[in-house]
Amino acid sequence: MIFEIEIKTKKGFSDPHGIHTVSEIEGIGIKGVKSVDYIAVYRISGGITVKQAEEIAFELLSDKITEDFCIKQYKTLEQKKIENNSIEVWFKTGVTDTVSESVSKAIKDLGINEEVAVKTGKKYRLKGELNTSKLKKIATRLLANTLIQEYLIK
Amino acid sequence: MNVNIIEILNLKDKQLVELSKTNVLSLSLVEMKEVQKYFKNIKRNPTDVELETIAQTWSEHCKHKTLTGNIEYCEEKNGKKIIKKYKNLLKETIFKATVELNKKWCLSVFKDNAGVIDFDQKNGVAFKVETHNHPSALEPYGGSATGIGGVIRDILGVGLGAKPLANTDVFCFGHPDTKFSEVPEGMHHPKRIAKGVVSGVRDYGNRMGIPTVNGAVFFDKGYMANPLVYCGTMGIIPKNKTDKEVKSGDLVLVVGGRTGRDGIHGATFSSVELDKESDVSAVQIGNPIVEKKVLDTMLKARDLKLYRGVTDCGAGGLSSAVGELGEKTGVIVELEKVPLKYKGLNPWEIWISEAQERMVFAVPAKNKNKILNLFKKENVEATFIGKFTNDNKLTLTYNGRQVACMEMSFLHDGVPKPTRQAVWKEQNIKKQNPVKVSASVLSSDMKNVLSDINVCSRDYIIRQYDHEVQGQTVVKPLQGNSITNSGPSDAAVIWPYTVVKNTKKAIVLSNGLNPEYGKIDTYKMAASSIEEAVRNAVCVGADPEKISLLDNFCWGNPNKPEILGSLVRASQACYDLSKGFDIPFISGKDSLYNEYTIAGKTFSIPPALLISAMGVIENVEYTVTMNLKDVGNYIYLIGVTKNELGGSVYAKIKNIKGGFVPDLDVKISKALMKKIHFSVKSSFVEACHDCSEGGFITALSEMAFAGEKGVNIDADLIKVDDKKMTLAEVLFSESNTRFIVEVKPENSVNFEKIFKGHIFSKVGYVSDDKNLILVSKKSKISIKENIINLQKAWQKTLQW
Amino acid sequence: MAKNITMVKNMKKLKVIIIRTAGTNCDYELQSAFELCGAGVDRVHINELISNKNKILSYDILAVPGGFSYGDDIASGKILSNELKNKLGDNIKEFALSKKPIIGICNGFQVLVKMGLLPQPEEFEQISTLSYNDSNKFECRWVYLKTERKNNNTLCLWTKDLPEVISLPVAHGEGKFVAGEKVLAQIEKNSQIVFRYCDKNGMEANYPLDPNGSLNAIAGICNKQGNVFGLMPHPERYIYSLQHPAREGYDGIYGWGKKIFQNAIEYLK
Repeated sequence: MIFEIEIKTKKGFSDPHGIHTVSEIEGIGIKGVKSVDYIAVYRISGGITVKQAEEIAFELLSDKITEDFCIKQYKTLEQKKIENNSIEVWFKTGVTDTVSESVSKAIKDLGINEEVAVKTGKKYRLKGELNTSKLKKIATRLLANTLIQEYLIK
Repeated sequence: MNVNIIEILNLKDKQLVELSKTNVLSLSLVEMKEVQKYFKNIKRNPTDVELETIAQTWSEHCKHKTLTGNIEYCEEKNGKKIIKKYKNLLKETIFKATVELNKKWCLSVFKDNAGVIDFDQKNGVAFKVETHNHPSALEPYGGSATGIGGVIRDILGVGLGAKPLANTDVFCFGHPDTKFSEVPEGMHHPKRIAKGVVSGVRDYGNRMGIPTVNGAVFFDKGYMANPLVYCGTMGIIPKNKTDKEVKSGDLVLVVGGRTGRDGIHGATFSSVELDKESDVSAVQIGNPIVEKKVLDTMLKARDLKLYRGVTDCGAGGLSSAVGELGEKTGVIVELEKVPLKYKGLNPWEIWISEAQERMVFAVPAKNKNKILNLFKKENVEATFIGKFTNDNKLTLTYNGRQVACMEMSFLHDGVPKPTRQAVWKEQNIKKQNPVKVSASVLSSDMKNVLSDINVCSRDYIIRQYDHEVQGQTVVKPLQGNSITNSGPSDAAVIWPYTVVKNTKKAIVLSNGLNPEYGKIDTYKMAASSIEEAVRNAVCVGADPEKISLLDNFCWGNPNKPEILGSLVRASQACYDLSKGFDIPFISGKDSLYNEYTIAGKTFSIPPALLISAMGVIENVEYTVTMNLKDVGNYIYLIGVTKNELGGSVYAKIKNIKGGFVPDLDVKISKALMKKIHFSVKSSFVEACHDCSEGGFITALSEMAFAGEKGVNIDADLIKVDDKKMTLAEVLFSESNTRFIVEVKPENSVNFEKIFKGHIFSKVGYVSDDKNLILVSKKSKISIKENIINLQKAWQKTLQW
Repeated sequence: MAKNITMVKNMKKLKVIIIRTAGTNCDYELQSAFELCGAGVDRVHINELISNKNKILSYDILAVPGGFSYGDDIASGKILSNELKNKLGDNIKEFALSKKPIIGICNGFQVLVKMGLLPQPEEFEQISTLSYNDSNKFECRWVYLKTERKNNNTLCLWTKDLPEVISLPVAHGEGKFVAGEKVLAQIEKNSQIVFRYCDKNGMEANYPLDPNGSLNAIAGICNKQGNVFGLMPHPERYIYSLQHPAREGYDGIYGWGKKIFQNAIEYLK
């Protein structure tokens, strides 16, 4: 089973990564993007249960005060759908993902001893005047370095 | 497992070249023929592991073939030609000066991972600066992070390991306002490169807990597709730990990160030019926490004397590190024992991978379990992979089968010396037309220079670095009288009280870099950079007799005679100035082939020589900052202002043609620096700042706003060597050997006595009205500028 | 100056434990600060504490230093706070409730807050947090801090007899103190705010003097008893006046940060 745990800032709290991304998009000469929500994504595959995934999301991956989480579950990644007007950025296979190693350690600290593989990604949910070519430009000029990362847009 | 025998014995010249190219070996035909000869002698073809090992060991990055090779240099001056032949440029210039100066306080020079000088009775200090240009062009964040990670490991791997105390970083980028349409295909925009590089250094340096305290940033369109990323680390080491002594029978221990496919061909890749299809696997990603754990544990192992040798895995990976440690003994390594990040690596990939955060140790067999336990206690992976022998051979096996066996002497001394041509032709440079401007233009020019991208505040960068971690940064990169105001420090001072209990001594770090001068004359560029580095150190209180230097050359393709000629000139300057100042070089590095291709056309970068200085200060209390201190104090300008606008910031923004690049009289410079130091030790100096980019008026403005004080200056009192100089020329000339010094009225008589016989003048005083007031009756100009406005001009440009 | 530094003699040497792990990096300067005040200091790796759980209780003062524990991966201090709570939670809570001094600086503050030792160790649940700076950047700079007082003295044992406004350096990317309205009102009411960012006159400050946009400009808090103290700024980087940008301090050679460590030692005397 593959879980994708998405961590997002709760309503009423500020999301400086998102706000900053808006101004960076302007900085590369792309106009019309009104807001960006930044979402950290953790893809955990292996033999854990839904309950364990929830525990990991609540106890470890999200901040209890300022962040919400949302868990998506796939049998294979082919089931995954990319949201409209969003950009996801993931490391290519074989590229060192340092955070994933820490997450694996921290999952064990929670007492969950099932073997899991962790990958970390970033998701940007954009609002404003958007189209595919704009999203592509934002992804390649700002958010992803295609040498080591892949980006997903719809 | 996959080991191939490579047919080489029967290849013709053309095929040898082809083989070198398809396997990214970066070996020339002459070198390939040498390889062929070796294997003809031992009557067999090499394995891929052997060929890759030779390519790594003989790479420009590891062997510095150009600087240590034969050069035929031809200089054309006043219509005459002078020919000079070098057998080893490095040994005949930079290193020669060090040998001739023969300083007792130089503990280890040009032989280990870093240069080491004396700190106190028990300790030495080590300093090294490296470049990581090509990787930073492709992946700015990962490239710069692994750059800083790599140079930190150089310090961990000097002698038996030093404790890092501070980092430095110097960058050259393309112009941040470059249009996207001008950025070559497949390359990142210069601003993206700059931001990525800064973030990489920030995240690695901050996580390592090493303050980044000194640096410089230079923007020029010539670095658009080939940025320069210099990273330096200084560390402290007990004097009895500065030597390695690997013995036959010692075991080879690899510690830290695991080996993956990252950074394969990094060493050979650094000698090829960049284009849009550059090798993907050359990119490395760092993990600072793994390196921090290695640092925490290995220094314990060092103090328990559990190992006899250590070096880091840098360019060339295990092949270079293990090869280096075993050069005098021979070594056998069982490649299957190397811990891997993932399966599927071929033996040659394991051997040359440049995966990060790995150190190699030579451990006496009796300490085997002790050292493993020590690392294990703090979750650091450590694995024995082989043994040092006494056969003077490099032997590699994989699951019991021999996959490489070569003589150490062939590997380390077998590389044939190339001979390269170098030429330099003197250019005819004329003085610029007199620069006459009105008071109002002068006022706005002042602010334009302060906000120029190469002068403006770097606080956006500096404040993202934890430049105070370890608590020892007592002269900080941004220095001011209060917390809200700050100006650029000349140098950083580290007071290592947490490591050396009760010490009063401190270490000063500074740098000099000016590629703008190099566009006109690389000799003067090198001379000015050396003086600037030393001058900066002296400004904060360094003793000019206890300073050491590092050289870092970043140049274009040395196969082009003019480019190599400019490199020879710069090296000669290093020799002349080192001797003249009586200041030795202790370590250095070069990065050549910094060129890139756009639409089929090849460009070389503007040559850049970074000079980094490290000095030891006797008493940390006698250090000085650059901000003005008290109303009523006098302001002195020490040194003479010459008509030298060539390569200046003012010439650039005003588009002034011609003009001389600042020259240097090393005797006068040396004498003045000693006197500045004497004045500091006599407590006569309240503040001191050197005049460099932007000239006198820029340096003065910085002192004023950093101290939240006004100044009153009579510009006609500034001593010049050319009475015809206009006021603008006087204020913006970048002449060397000039210091602005703030002195209390009661100390002024004694202060002036010290400088008797030298050119200096009292040009004004510190005022309480927060304005910079400058009057020149001769030019009928007076200026009044609010210092807060000057500070705003200085701070506004680089706020990303 | 070094010759003036004399150890306070004839005093029972108090024992300080500095907990460290992968990524801890302000432990040496913290050790120097406590030693300057006459305490004995052990820097102990968390693995050693986990294998000998009662070791921690043999110390008089507990300190969690700054750094990037486990790289601050996921969020600052998160992994270490979980590890400490899951593996040593009972003993740490006992330490706190026994009124022995505890200090968490920068990453240590983030750890104390995220494990719930601050602001209410009795509950030992996370009710506040330290979030990303509003500037979205790491900020290394000196700031002014207002020492909060009630009835002319401080609730926190660590900040007795400090001037009304002191300056200390900050160096963090996640230092914005955030809590729900109720919690915030409660800690205000209990005088648990120890330091607030301010200008040089002690008045409200904007960025960059307030480096992170904390609610109510909070830079440091303590528990109701005043023995558990967490703060983002680094007092251990200001034990000598030489460390101050304008080289200001007290008694000629010391920085105000030293006073903070001195207070904990004197409290136990």
